[in-house]
Amino acid sequence: MRQVIIQSMLLLLFSCSASAFGGQLLAPYKGAQPAPDFELVDVDGDKHRLSDYRGKPLIINFWATWCPPCREEMPSMNRAWHKVKDDVSMLAINVGEDEDTIFVFSADYPIDFPVLLDQSGEVIRQWPVKGLPTTFVLDREGNIRYSAVGAREWDDDALLEIVKGL
Amino acid sequence: MAGVTQSVDEQTALVSWKMDGGNFELELAQLLPDQTRAFFLARGFSKKIANTIATGCIMQTIGRNSAEKGVQGAVDVDLKHWRMLHEGAESPIKLKEQWDREWLSGEVSDTARLAFRWATFPTQQNFAPGDFGWGMTSFGLVPGERFDLKVVWSVAGVEKEAWIRRIQCAEER
Repeated sequence: MRQVIIQSMLLLLFSCSASAFGGQLLAPYKGAQPAPDFELVDVDGDKHRLSDYRGKPLIINFWATWCPPCREEMPSMNRAWHKVKDDVSMLAINVGEDEDTIFVFSADYPIDFPVLLDQSGEVIRQWPVKGLPTTFVLDREGNIRYSAVGAREWDDDALLEIVKGL
Repeated sequence: MAGVTQSVDEQTALVSWKMDGGNFELELAQLLPDQTRAFFLARGFSKKIANTIATGCIMQTIGRNSAEKGVQGAVDVDLKHWRMLHEGAESPIKLKEQWDREWLSGEVSDTARLAFRWATFPTQQNFAPGDFGWGMTSFGLVPGERFDLKVVWSVAGVEKEAWIRRIQCAEER
């Protein structure tokens, strides 16, 4: 019981702070650099290679279940997926956790787009990520065009129009 | 001149300090040793090491580039430039790399190290307008101790600094 209270306090503290610092800005990425390719499995064991996603704009989110701003933005990412799934692909790359942990998480926070597992942290090391969550927006050719450090409301129509136009 | 405000959370009674440095806002919030212990135990750390971290004055830290849309000016933060003043002595803060070096090979699993790396505030970070980063920072003091912190950041290459005074490490409850 004590641990539950502590965890609730921790989440409350983090989530209040994260909300206070929300924002909708996407930062244009320096130049249009090709994103580092990778092959990862998703929570169902299916393989995903980044280069297979060329042809549509792609949102890639690095996250972890214990990361409060990641938890905060995930529902808006899922809503965004349902708004634009015909025009935009989305991937969430979980860092350092296993599929069971994600299944427990997704019972409270449904995720309908692919969640890939970077359990060793090998992929995130190759990307320009300093903290979680960090999200990149790639154009149809696989170049990084925008990044966002920290949570965003991803179902924001203006934001999604920018993504769809890439 | 950066403004600093202190507040107490009504539900948790934990104290936080918020610095408004123009384009850069920083918030430090107390974490109870039990909160930190629980977090790192759940990430696979041993009781001994989780306790060592938890009693090392861990603060939840959030940094934000608060520039409005269209305003130029990335904010760069390098924790190696931050200084803490405790009992008259100035020293660097304890970085994640230092913690990592202290753990013997085999003492901490790769999974736990990975979680520690990503749960702690980045040592170096570039914040574009609208970006915010969060993570734990550690100050290496026992629960209840007080210290001053010199926060250093740069906007478009121009270095700025501000002091946050009388920060208190959370006490055991």
